[in-house]
Amino acid sequence: MGEIVILKKGLQSGNVEHPYREKTDKRILKKNPWRDYRLHGTVLLLVIVAEIIGPIEIPIAKGVEVIIMPLLYTMVLGLVFYLDKNIQWIQRRQSRIAEGAMMLFIGVLIAKLAVSSGQSIHLIFEMGPALLLQELGHLATIFIALPVALLLGFKRESIGMTSSIGREPEVAVIVDKYGFNSPESRGIFALFIVGTIIGTVFISFLASLSVSIIPLHPFAFAMASGVGSASMNAASLGPTLAAFPNLETSIEAFAGFSNLLSFSIGIYIVIFIAVPLTEKLYAYLEPKIGREAIVKEDGDDNNG
Amino acid sequence: MADFIDGTENVTVHGIFNWIRLLIIFSVITVIGNYIGYKHPIGEAFIGMGILSLITLAGVWLERELPFNISSILYISIIGIVIALPGMPTSKFVLYYVSKIELLSIVTVFLAYVGIGMGKSWDEFKALGWKAVIITILVIASTYYGSAIVAHIILVLTGVPAA
Repeated sequence: MGEIVILKKGLQSGNVEHPYREKTDKRILKKNPWRDYRLHGTVLLLVIVAEIIGPIEIPIAKGVEVIIMPLLYTMVLGLVFYLDKNIQWIQRRQSRIAEGAMMLFIGVLIAKLAVSSGQSIHLIFEMGPALLLQELGHLATIFIALPVALLLGFKRESIGMTSSIGREPEVAVIVDKYGFNSPESRGIFALFIVGTIIGTVFISFLASLSVSIIPLHPFAFAMASGVGSASMNAASLGPTLAAFPNLETSIEAFAGFSNLLSFSIGIYIVIFIAVPLTEKLYAYLEPKIGREAIVKEDGDDNNG
Repeated sequence: MADFIDGTENVTVHGIFNWIRLLIIFSVITVIGNYIGYKHPIGEAFIGMGILSLITLAGVWLERELPFNISSILYISIIGIVIALPGMPTSKFVLYYVSKIELLSIVTVFLAYVGIGMGKSWDEFKALGWKAVIITILVIASTYYGSAIVAHIILVLTGVPAA
């Protein structure tokens, strides 16, 4: 519950736009996060082990291989360290500090991409239309995930669950529009939690498989990696960079531009296009393919 | 839930020093990983991380100081792009040192923190069930492919060679 509680706190205090900022500030200002040498020491250990092992290529068919990058080992091992009861020095406290610190470290990642973008600024003039329009490609989720959600028995939850990728900014949009205890908000909270746990691993495998079997333009994969979540972006860039090593700077540049767009106009696409479109499609499809509701309407779910 | 902390203080000098210390720790770990994985010289890579950390610091500071409702990610992106633009006096210096840091080295460290940070959500995740997992997978995959396919079509239409 902790994850959502912090988000909730920020959202209820009227600071709907900045769930991120509240989280970072509270964690970083209140605790002395640099002092937690157990956390940072553990990260250092994970990083050294991961970099020594290096990327592993697993052939799954002729000419098709999945590349597993060191970034996946550190993330999965980090989770395992937290969950493993024998590892006493990584507990809830460390997890909370890690989360607050991570919000700051996103900045370093974004800065690196931005420097590549600045270096390759000519690309935005040559490929601006592709960059802008691919943001609209995100709407595909509504047409694919919404019908499936209805067939699985979700009701209005499906509007929150399928209108966007469901990271912090989109959660804020849905909560702002429908209210905290609405089914729509429950839907996007579920998406947020599941995306937090499996999203990064899943998109890394997806990108790895796709660059090896689907013949799309390398720059198209680079732009697609900017889905609106820094860790998913990073995880899907890994295999893309590995698959096209001579295009490294351009791929980073596109990912940087695409992030910039996702975080600036992306949110308006969600507010003005994605959510209304999901509503329309829901109104059209629900009477046709909707099932028995699987989530009870109780409306009084106040205690995170 | 005793989990969240009430705190209404604004950014203080204390806060900024906390950010700086954290960024130094992050830089040290990244430079070590970068050395093991890619053999970039430690001194130059450290300067590269210093530049990236300064951009980050400027971005998070601006977000909190300026009255606009703009995310630090946008400030950071804009500062990073501007100082690296061809023709800027800073660009040669920035590009040289930042190129000594591999993106993937940063990501590897970043995701270690993400992994530990996501641990807290594990119990909630387990409570959600397979239907939520299926929907999430579909949402992520269709967001990714939707934008890849649109980008591909436009790139082909506008005649961008596949490098």
